[in-house]
Amino acid sequence: MILAVGLNHYLVLSALIFSLGVLCMATKRNAIGILIGVELVLNAANINLVAFSKYNAGVGDGHIFAVFVILLAAAEAALAIAIFMNFYNTLRTIDVDRGDELRG
Amino acid sequence: MLASTTTTNPIWMPGGDELAYLGPLWALVATVVAVLLGALAVGRNWRVSAGIATFGGLLTAWLAYRGFSQAGFTNWAGMTPSAPAAPMLVADQFSYCFIFLISVFMVLVTGMWWLGQNAGLPEHLTRKQDSTEFFVLFVGSAFGMSLMVSTTNLLMIILAVEMASLPSYGITAFRKKHNLAAEASLKYVLFGAITSAIMIYGASLLYGQYHTLDLAAIGRQIAAETGQSGPTVLMGVSLVAFMSGIAFKVSAVPFHFWCPDVFEGASIEITTWLSVASKAAGLGLMLRVIAVLTCNLSSPDTLEYVSLAIAVMAAITCTWGNISAFRQTNLKRLLAFSSIAHAGYMLMAVAIIWHPEFGQTDMPAHPSFSALVFYITVYLMMNLGAFGVIALVYWSTGKETIDAFNGLARRSLPLTIAMVVFLFSLVGLPPMGGFFAKWWLLYALWEGNVVWLILVAVFNTLISLYYYARIARAMIFTDDGQPTVHAPISGQAAVTVCAILVLLTGTLSAGWLKDFSDNRSRGLYAIVRPVNQEPTANDQLDNDGSEEKIAEFSPDGGSEFE
Repeated sequence: MILAVGLNHYLVLSALIFSLGVLCMATKRNAIGILIGVELVLNAANINLVAFSKYNAGVGDGHIFAVFVILLAAAEAALAIAIFMNFYNTLRTIDVDRGDELRG
Repeated sequence: MLASTTTTNPIWMPGGDELAYLGPLWALVATVVAVLLGALAVGRNWRVSAGIATFGGLLTAWLAYRGFSQAGFTNWAGMTPSAPAAPMLVADQFSYCFIFLISVFMVLVTGMWWLGQNAGLPEHLTRKQDSTEFFVLFVGSAFGMSLMVSTTNLLMIILAVEMASLPSYGITAFRKKHNLAAEASLKYVLFGAITSAIMIYGASLLYGQYHTLDLAAIGRQIAAETGQSGPTVLMGVSLVAFMSGIAFKVSAVPFHFWCPDVFEGASIEITTWLSVASKAAGLGLMLRVIAVLTCNLSSPDTLEYVSLAIAVMAAITCTWGNISAFRQTNLKRLLAFSSIAHAGYMLMAVAIIWHPEFGQTDMPAHPSFSALVFYITVYLMMNLGAFGVIALVYWSTGKETIDAFNGLARRSLPLTIAMVVFLFSLVGLPPMGGFFAKWWLLYALWEGNVVWLILVAVFNTLISLYYYARIARAMIFTDDGQPTVHAPISGQAAVTVCAILVLLTGTLSAGWLKDFSDNRSRGLYAIVRPVNQEPTANDQLDNDGSEEKIAEFSPDGGSEFE
């Protein structure tokens, strides 16, 4: 039996990826692991946007939004990784739990 | 006018008028480009970069200031008859006011940075060679913050928040080989990336439910939906997810964890910049988003929930900030918690924007918008001054802890007097500007019938007196024989001017600043009226429609007030 792929399939996929992303952000202690979780959530949002744009709205808003989100994700990753490098150069680790000098 | 004219031409190009409305934003973008080109033209010179940024900031401030006096300029850019009804960018008195404050503050922080460059700090902390990059990021974040206060479109809001956040991460990490800066920027970027990802996911859900990116249209559909069947879970979840990104910028509890760490780890100019500009932009955005989303709601229950949720968040933010500030010894960290507390006070103004009496034209302006503008203007000056004194002491002694202030009255009397003015203004004591800031806020809360929030604010003011007075006590009564502070004359003069301004806003200029705030908040005033009505001639309609809402409004303390 061949299922016709509809809006709900995309939404389930997106919700799944979102949950995986949140799980990843919550459990990883490595900064890059957390960043991967962020990217997963952004991609889940992208799937949502494109699916909604195709099935519901009928105008291209969501597609354009998704392009901007891809761009944002790239910019954010570039900056975040530069900051991770800086952190690594000073503290020789990217374990976020090791950054514990600022507290109180 | 808020006319709902739709264009017949699907491809709309902005005309000269619309582009001119965005003058201040153009000026900021041009400044970023000019800083880059300046480095190409004359080489990497920190004075040139700072000079271009100062000039660009002043130009932006002038363009925004000129906009204040434009006749009838209370409308949305792109709302001329030929333009689409759902603008990507909005230019009104309110957004111009925030752009004006942000760009003036940008110039002042540039001045502070200039003093820091001359303070004789080691090269890896000042990084004179990289001043071009610094100003590209710095002016870029100012541009992002200016965008934040001038849009009601989901996509533009997200782009603006990111445009403000990404350069802020960069300038937080600007001190190289510095453990605290590295750690602070790591926490900032991770926390910011997580909240912005959640925010974008929330925006995608909102888009899916309402098929549009325009917040005003989303607000109308939410109103229609809740009017029929009450709020749905999905609506609530997506709105909370979307608002979390804005709450992160405001550093409202529970999204405040980055704030003390970043403020302690960043260099002191950046701390000053983020403590005022980032929060002002976040509050401006939050106020506008909530006003636009809820202005058509007619269901009193829903309004009550939203209002109560924000009021509780404001109360917790305020109390949490003040209580955490108690045991701090690092002054930047102490003022970080103080800024969380002040964000809480300002959020209280956001919590009452639905009060139906506020929609009437016999009031000079919407009390909570006006209170917010007044508060931010005063907060800008007093926080700049307080951080300025801390910076001058830090550049002289190399310490940012409260011990560095011991015996400051003997070591530098002008700095002590100025600092006492700023501290008492931060508490909200007369005759400082902070008193009237709190006064108008409490007045708005009183008008909005939320007595319990007034009690929270007063209680917080009292407990905040303790830790501000602790600094004053260290300066005046604790002397452990540290050497005299040699602050540069220009720095002392700047701090003194700031103190005089804080005193003036609390005395002679208080009325002027109130008028200024009233006039600036009229622009946004129009949008809390129902969108399909004419904003100037609908007093009667508003009054009729709002009677039942008055009875149902106040979340908790309304009856006590009556």
